[in-house]
This record gives sequence, structure tokens and C-alpha cells, in this order.
Amino acid sequence: MLALGPLAFAAPWVLAALVVLPVLVWLLRVTPPAPRAQAFPALRLLRGLVATETTPARTPWWLLLLRIAAAAFIIIGLARPVWGPGAGAGGPGPLLLVVDDGWAAAPDWAERMAVGQAALDAASRQGRRVALFPTAPSEAAEPPHPGPLLPAEEARARLAALRPKPWAPDRATAAAALAAWRGAAGLADGALSSLWLSDGLADDGGFEALTATLRRAGPLTLARAEDHPTRLLLPPEAEPERLVLHIAQTPDPVDGEAVVLARTAEGRTLARAAVPMAAGAARGAVALDLPIELRNQVTRLDLENTAGAGAVVLLDERFRRRPVGLIAGDEAGGEAALLGDVFWLDRALSPFVELRRGSIETLLSRPLALLILADRPLTPGREQQAVTDWVGKGGTLLRFAGPRLAESADPLLPVPLRAGERALGAALSWEQPQHLAPFPEGSPFAGLPVPDEVVVERQVLAEPVPGLAERTWARLTDGTPLVTAETRGRGRIVLVHVTANAAWSNLPLSGLYVDMLRRVIGLSAGVAGAAGGVPLPPLETLDGFGRLGLPGGAAAPVSGETIAAAPPGPRSPPGWYGAAGEGAERRALNLSAGVPAPVLAALPPGIPLRHIGGVPAEADLGPWLIASALLLLVFDMLLSLRLRGLLVLKAASLALLLLAPVAAHTEPPDPVVLAQATRLAYVVTGDAQVDEVSRQGLVGLSDFVNRRTAASLAEPVGLTPGRDDMSFFPLVYWPVLPAALALEPAANDAVNTFFRNGGIILFDTRDEGSGEGTYPGARAALRRLTLDLTVPPLAPIADDHVLRRAFYLLPEMPGRYTGGQVWAARDQDRANDSVSPVIIGGHDWAAAWAVDGRGQNPYATIPGGARQRILAYRFGTNLVMYALTGNYKGDQVHVPAILERLGN
Amino acid sequence: MPTPRPPAAEALGARLPPLVVAADRVAATVRAGVHGRRRPGQGDAFWQFRPFGEGDAVARIDWRQSARGDRLYVRETESESAQTIGLWRATGPGMGWRGAASRPTKRDRAELLLLALASLLLRGGERVRLLGAGRTLAGRGALERLAEDLGGTEGALDDPSLPRHARIVLFGDFWAPLPEWQAMLSGFAARGLRGTLVQVLDPAEESLPYAGRIRFEGLAGEAPELLPRVEGVRPAYAARVTAHRAGLADLARMSGCTLLTHHTDQPPEAALLALWLALSEAAR
Repeated sequence: MLALGPLAFAAPWVLAALVVLPVLVWLLRVTPPAPRAQAFPALRLLRGLVATETTPARTPWWLLLLRIAAAAFIIIGLARPVWGPGAGAGGPGPLLLVVDDGWAAAPDWAERMAVGQAALDAASRQGRRVALFPTAPSEAAEPPHPGPLLPAEEARARLAALRPKPWAPDRATAAAALAAWRGAAGLADGALSSLWLSDGLADDGGFEALTATLRRAGPLTLARAEDHPTRLLLPPEAEPERLVLHIAQTPDPVDGEAVVLARTAEGRTLARAAVPMAAGAARGAVALDLPIELRNQVTRLDLENTAGAGAVVLLDERFRRRPVGLIAGDEAGGEAALLGDVFWLDRALSPFVELRRGSIETLLSRPLALLILADRPLTPGREQQAVTDWVGKGGTLLRFAGPRLAESADPLLPVPLRAGERALGAALSWEQPQHLAPFPEGSPFAGLPVPDEVVVERQVLAEPVPGLAERTWARLTDGTPLVTAETRGRGRIVLVHVTANAAWSNLPLSGLYVDMLRRVIGLSAGVAGAAGGVPLPPLETLDGFGRLGLPGGAAAPVSGETIAAAPPGPRSPPGWYGAAGEGAERRALNLSAGVPAPVLAALPPGIPLRHIGGVPAEADLGPWLIASALLLLVFDMLLSLRLRGLLVLKAASLALLLLAPVAAHTEPPDPVVLAQATRLAYVVTGDAQVDEVSRQGLVGLSDFVNRRTAASLAEPVGLTPGRDDMSFFPLVYWPVLPAALALEPAANDAVNTFFRNGGIILFDTRDEGSGEGTYPGARAALRRLTLDLTVPPLAPIADDHVLRRAFYLLPEMPGRYTGGQVWAARDQDRANDSVSPVIIGGHDWAAAWAVDGRGQNPYATIPGGARQRILAYRFGTNLVMYALTGNYKGDQVHVPAILERLGN
Repeated sequence: MPTPRPPAAEALGARLPPLVVAADRVAATVRAGVHGRRRPGQGDAFWQFRPFGEGDAVARIDWRQSARGDRLYVRETESESAQTIGLWRATGPGMGWRGAASRPTKRDRAELLLLALASLLLRGGERVRLLGAGRTLAGRGALERLAEDLGGTEGALDDPSLPRHARIVLFGDFWAPLPEWQAMLSGFAARGLRGTLVQVLDPAEESLPYAGRIRFEGLAGEAPELLPRVEGVRPAYAARVTAHRAGLADLARMSGCTLLTHHTDQPPEAALLALWLALSEAAR
């Protein structure tokens, strides 16, 4: 083994062959290259000519250089050069390779393994034996212990088989096991050297303990990664309307950013939040604003680009299900349209929570997040007792006032009430109906806009008691409380001083009502479920890289009481616990709930340190050198052929040959090609992401139409109106960006011509129905865009419109969103055979149709379900049929009339 | 007559129409027309009326002219005697060579010039003959038949049936040793044959644009010649070419011929014009 700086040779005696290189130079110089052959008619005249200068023909210097280089490469390559050889652990005796294989080692596991393999390579070169020593308990719940002393080649396979564990290393046990092992193997102090691939975490003194034991055993080298912090994603805090994400990390000298992805059970990403991590900070937090409908679908949070169980938090029912019990005061007429006590509550809540009805006993017999009593006094005795107990255990009681409550107040109210109600602006009152005052700071409603049109005509009044101001969440402009609340035990009682219907105020008619209800629901604790010591068996557990899989053999059931803070280990790996089966409750055991926040251990002085990651630890240069020598020889052969005139391929033609396929790709779509098949098109907006969604959407739709109908659509293309010819496309999808500008005159003309010739454009503002507010300004942009277009008078698509029956019979026309209005030209408009040139809507159809490269739908439908996607595809099919056949299917609208006539 | 090689004839026959057209186009740029001998004789053009004399055939009396007066007149036409031109182009393996893919082979260019000249001559009323082909051609369709002869025969230079005092035009590279040409040309001169030699050369044969170590191989199976440094022999080679041409020009002059040189990278029209001038000068 010969070392020259970072370069070492495993077989240095081969380098002796370099001595023959000068001989080779001499040989090559005296052997001229083979002459070029040239046919020549006037050969007779050339006979016996002698050149005036008699320079001997010799090999050109560059050819000489090339051949010498090839020969040198082969010689050096055979000497097995190694760049930056892992120096192993300095010191005598066998090598003890200590590997931290806890959760913190997972993100840079490959680099760690590279350092370990390099150490094994070095040990193999030095002929040392190696013992492998993982410090975390194994999957089979064995405590950490050093492995047997093996030749380095055998240890290599064992090291490659090592995987990070989704729990923390147990270094105290490891230190004890090491002492026992040394005693059994008869290794005296200083008789072995160790290399520790450490995750660098302090581990409550475990680091120092193991360091001390290892130093006693012999020279210790410590390898750890210092170029990136170790991050741990903590369980989030659920707040109303948002999740607050927390990340703990080892301090980093520069400002960083951790990205958290919120994913559904299917693995789709619903939201992405960047958590700023300040330099030197140990924690970072950010709020993830997520509508409750979406939040209910989130089952796990992931740190982006970070592997490991520490980068995953599973969200169980506590973060999601909010069942709400609803009881009307007037049990018979509570549901009556517009007038009933709970009619407006039902309308406001049913989109995003699970509403339950029934008696108080029935409702409280199951977990409930919120109980709403609309003007429903509680009978003293059993009912009051049950509700009091429930509130004490963490339930949230939301009550609405009303005539019945005003008559008979009960103790379960945040504030004592005056008997009777106060009427404002009635015939016998001097006072005017009152508006709402802005919400006070500290109220859960703070920040909600207060609409002017909300007026309260009648309310129940609170007794002026001490502390009333703190309990008040909302006031009228004259200062009387409108919403009061009080904490009782672990729960809360909230009273709204008006009715839940529009009898006393028009609050239930305003959007504020929904927002206020959402905030109250967000405040309520999630349903903990399955309380008590029921043992929950493991369903799916995380592996060391943060992937869900089948639980290992040692994983045991965990008690439901302790699961929230159970320490992760081989007996209780992080993952899902609970009963198997659909709809059964699952509980999450998260790694970050049971391990301490990562803290870097202080380095004891005098330990040689090695870095993990960064430059590749060691590179065997031999194969590369020999490969480049072969390449040089091939090049030399080509050059020789060229010199002899046998190779007449011109460089230019060669380059052309190589460049031809590249050039073919950059050509714009050829009109001839476009004209050969029917295809859909989308308007290129300039936003790469939107354009990709449009393209994927039309690919998915074309595929669906090709499978289900006789139409055969080719690959869709993007186009720019005014620049590209639009006449080849029956249907053009146009996503409207909020930033879209008015069209250029040329584009206007092109689109108008397209309309005139029977083309159809689907304008999509992507912000209607359930997606309302996604892209504020898209409708204004649509108005700008279509300002100079000849759009006919529009009307909502009627139930008997051809679009609803061109192929499928469609009750609704959803895309990614649903519930919005879709517009087309009025049916009476006889121009162009009543075929509407524009369809306008905001359901983000392309996202619903989109199919990615793996054939999956990358965008979740909202509110969701396979049915919505199928309907979206069906709407697309109808649209294509409408574009291809016009009002042909419109005749079917008259089938009843035709049948009637035929019958007569 | 040598047996025509069918494949070669076919190959050339396939190329025939464009070659003829090209030859016609080249010829039209030079001159068209019939030239008379400015004396009475066999011909089509009117020359003069002369009084009927003894021994004249009665059929030759021009009755219309005679009816104007009391005397009988005989109509005389201008004598138009056609000259036979013997054409030849060399066909050796060296003629099928070209120095660069952008230029035609010497044989292609020689045949193009030959046909173009023949087209001019035929339009001038002359008779043309491909040496060794065994037939003399004149009139309409002669050009196509000449092209057939070109494809069908190698063309022997020695053609005993060529009439005395005919004119010859020879196309070739004339790289053969001078004594061979001396024998050939003196034989022609003895038979009263005069004419023009057109040396059709590729420019590479004159400039020797090669460099380095090159093994030159002959096209007729000669032993190859290895030159270690071609750029070094270029002046010597140029001197040899000049000497060879000078010798050839002397030989030609001695046997009453002229020597023209044409390079294949130059347009054929220039060569044709030079050829025409040379032929018409000699006729005067």
C-alpha cells in the first residue's frame, strides 16, 4: 500500500511498468503511421520524384501523447489507485465499528453507511478483524450488544444489512454490554480501536457514558454529520381553523427552513408549510391554515426531504373527528325549513362536521366534541348531571338562547341571566336594533369581519356580575354581551344570547354565523375515544425511514391510556394502533411524543473527528482509468483510420447526426401533424404548474373518452391564441389565472374566429363551489379576458340542456370542486345551431381529470369521493361530445313529444 | 465493331436524355445555322439562275423563270458540302476518376463536351462519326444515335474507314507517354487528318493538393508509389506536368493539330466555345 497524499495504490508494484513508457515513446516515434492511400491517374508522372525537403515521416506529437496517455492509464489503473482511502480507525488491534442506528441517523443513513464501508475497506486492506456494534435495541427487542469479531469482508454484508430503527439508541445499556463483551473476548484496555458513527445527540448522559467506555477500550475516532441539523417533527397543536406545527432541532448556525407536508391516508399532499428555523434556535413553529374539510383528511405530517421516523407525525382522531350533537328546543318543529330552531345550524354545520341527533343520553353515550342546544333548557336532575359531567371531562357545550331558555334558566350557563328577554326596536321600545361591535381581542372570534347588516332585535341579558367582561366573546354596539363563555373543568360552556334561527336577529343569515360556529368547533377538544386501559394492538408501524409497514414480531399492544406518551421502542414502535377493520378507531403512537428534543452532545476533548457526508469517503479510481484508457485507444483507432484516409465521415455530418434528434424535439407542432387527428387543446397561461395540470387533465380526459366512447382523441397540445392556429381543435380548455391580462388584438381576432367557426372554449376560474376563494380575482380576470370577445348572452346550464345529456345523464357538473354555477349561451340563441361557443365555470375540471405519469389522479377532489371524480370525467365526456356533435343529442330532448305523436 | 457492353450501354442510355439536353443547351449558346460554300453545287439554298446550256438536264429548267422571257433558265443552288468530323474520347480507367465528389469525372465531362460539339456540328449540317463506332451520322436523330454509339463502344482511336481529310476532335487526359502519341498523331497526319486535341483534366491532377505521407495507387493496376512527403514534391511534379503538356503541344502542332486544355472545375461552355473557335479557324 503506497500513499501519495489523498491518493493510495493497493498494488503499487504494477507502477514499475511505468519505466517502459520511454521505450514505448521511442518505438512509436520511429514507427511512422501507416500512409494514407490515394488513387491517382497521373501516377506515371509521380514515379521516382524526390522531395526537396527530406523530413522523415514521423508520428505526430499529439498522437504520440494520446498513446502514451492510454498506456500510462492502463498501468496506473492496474495499480488499483484509491482516492482518499478511509484511514480506518487509527490504533492497534481489531476494529470496533459502533453505529448509532436510532431515529436520528435515518436522514443521512446512506452517507453513514459509506463512511462505515470505507472504514471496512481500510480494515480489509490492513487485514484487521471487525466487530459491528449497533447501539439501538434491535427489532426483536434485544438490547444492544457488540457482534462477533469477523473478517472485514464478512462484516461488510452485516453492515449493509443494518437499518435505522424508529426509536432512540440505548447507549447506557450499550456501554454495559461493551464492558461484558470485552471481558468475554479477553481484550485488555487499549487492545482495540473503535470508530463511532454517531448521531451526535446527548441522549441524557448516554453519550458521555459510551464515550468513556470506548476510550477505556482503546483509541476512539468519532464520525458525525455537522453540515445539517437533526430535526424532529413534534405533534402539532390543534387550534380552531389551523394546526400549529412545531419542529425541534439541534441548533444550526445559519437560518434555515423546514418544509412540512400534510398528507392524506392515500399519500396525497394537501398542504405544504415552510417552518422558518432561525439560526441557533432549537425550535420553530408555524401555523398551517387549513379548512376543516381538508384538515379532516390529513392523517400524517412529513418533513419534506427528510427520511426517518422523527420526520413523521401521524394524526389520529384527536386531530380530526369533531362529532357535533344537535338538540332542538322544539323537538317537533326544530327541523322546519327557515323557521325551525336548528334549521340554520344544520345548514351551517353539515358541510364540515358529523352531525348527530337524538336525546341527550343517546348523544353523550358516544364521544362527542360539541353539544349544541338550541333554546333547549336542561331538566334538573339526570340531564343536568350528565351534561355537567361531560363538560367537566372536556366537552364543549354551545347553547343558543330563545324564549324557553329566557323563561327557565339553568345552572349550565356561562353567566347568570336576567329573566325574560330584551327587545330592541319593537313597537313599544325606544331603542333601535343593535349592530355587532368588533370582536374584542382575546376572543376566539377576534379578526372575523363584522358585517354591517347584522342586527339584533331581541336577546337575553346577562346579569352584571364580576368577570363578565372576561367571559364575553362578542358584544353589541351598546356593550351588552352577545356571546359569553366560561371554562368548566376541562370543558367549556358557550352561550349565544340570541336564537339559533332568524327569529331574534338576522345573525344566522349572515356568513359570520358560519365562521363563528367553525371557530367554536375548532376550539372544542377532539374526541379522544377508546379511553381507558384497553390494550390496542399495533396495526401498522413506521420503519426507521418513516415508511408504514407491517408491525415487527416484538411489537406488542399498548394501553389506550398511555399511548399518547408511550416511549417508542421495539415493543411499542411508532405507528397506528387499534382494532383492524373499516371505521374502527385508530390511535397514533408518535416517536416525537416519546423522545426528548434533540440536543447536541458536547465533544470530549482529544477525540479525532471525522465528518459524515460531504466528499465521498473513498473512490476506487482503477476501473475509471482503465475505461478512459480504452476510450483513448478507440479514439486513437479512429484517428489512425482518418490519417490513412479510410474514415471519410465528415465531422460536420457526424455532428449533424448527433444533433438531429435534439433539433427534432424543439420544433413547434406541425400543422400537418395536428390536422391528422382530433385532439383537445389548452391555452398556455405561462404558469408552468397550471399548464402542466391542464395538460395532465386533458390527457386524462382524452384517455377516458377514448375508452368509453367511439371518439378517438390524440395527445392534447398547448396553444397560445393569436400565435397558434386554433382551427384544429373542437374544444379548448382555458384556465383563467387571477393575473390574466386582457387579450392582444390578434388573439382577440383568433378567438372570435374560432367561435365563429364552431369552436368551444371552456373557461375555468377554478374558484367556485367548494373551492370558493381559492383564486380571488379570477372572475375579474375572466371579465378582463373576455371583454372584446363576442360572447353571446349567457344563462346557467338548464336541467334539459344538451350538455347534461350529450353522452351521460348528468345531474351536476363537478370538477375538483362542486356546487358552483356553470354557464353557457342561452338556449334560445339560434346562432351556430344553439351550440354555445363558451362554457364558463369554476370547478377546476382539469385538476379532477388530471392523470400523472403513473396513471394516478394527483389532485384530490373536494369535498371528495370517487363519485365526484367519475362525474367530473362524465362531464368532460359530455363536453367533448357536445363539441363534436353539437346539438345532435338535443333532439332527444323532444323524444317524449315525438313518442306522443307516434302513438297518435 | 467491338461488342457493346449491354450493362454499360444501358447505364449510359439511362443518362442519355439529360446529356443530350445539356449538350443542346450548351450548343445553343454558341451558334446555330447552316454554312454554305459560296459556289453552285448540291444544296437547298438558291444561288443563281443561269441560261440553259448544252448537257443540262431538261428537268433542271426552272419553268416559272423561263416563262418571263424567251430564254430558258436553269436554277442553281449553292453547294453545301458537309465535312465529316471524327470524334473520340478516351475511356481508360484514369478517365473515370475525379479529385473531389463535387466535380464530375473526366469521362463524364469529355462525353458531355463531345455530344455538345456533335450537336453543334449536326446543326451546322456536318457529318459526325465516333471513331471506332463504324457509322457516320448526319441529320435528325443523329445525336441520339451518337449517344448510343458512346454507350455501345469503347471507341478505338484507329478508324481506317474515316475519309481522308476529315477532321478529328480527340478528348482525353493524354497522360500516356509522349512517344505513343507521336506514333498515333503522325499516322493521322499521314492520312491528312487534322483536328484538335482537348486535354480534359481534373484540377487535382495538376495541382497535386495532397500533403503528408501518401501511397498513390494507379487506376490501371500499376504498382503503387509511396511518397513520404507529398508537399515536398509538388514543384517537381508541376514541372513534369508542364513539360508533358509542352511536348504534347509540339506533337500536335507538328501533325497540324491544336491542343486545348479543359479542367473539370470550369464550366463546359468555355471549353465548347474555345473548341468551336479552334475548329472554325482551322476551316477558314
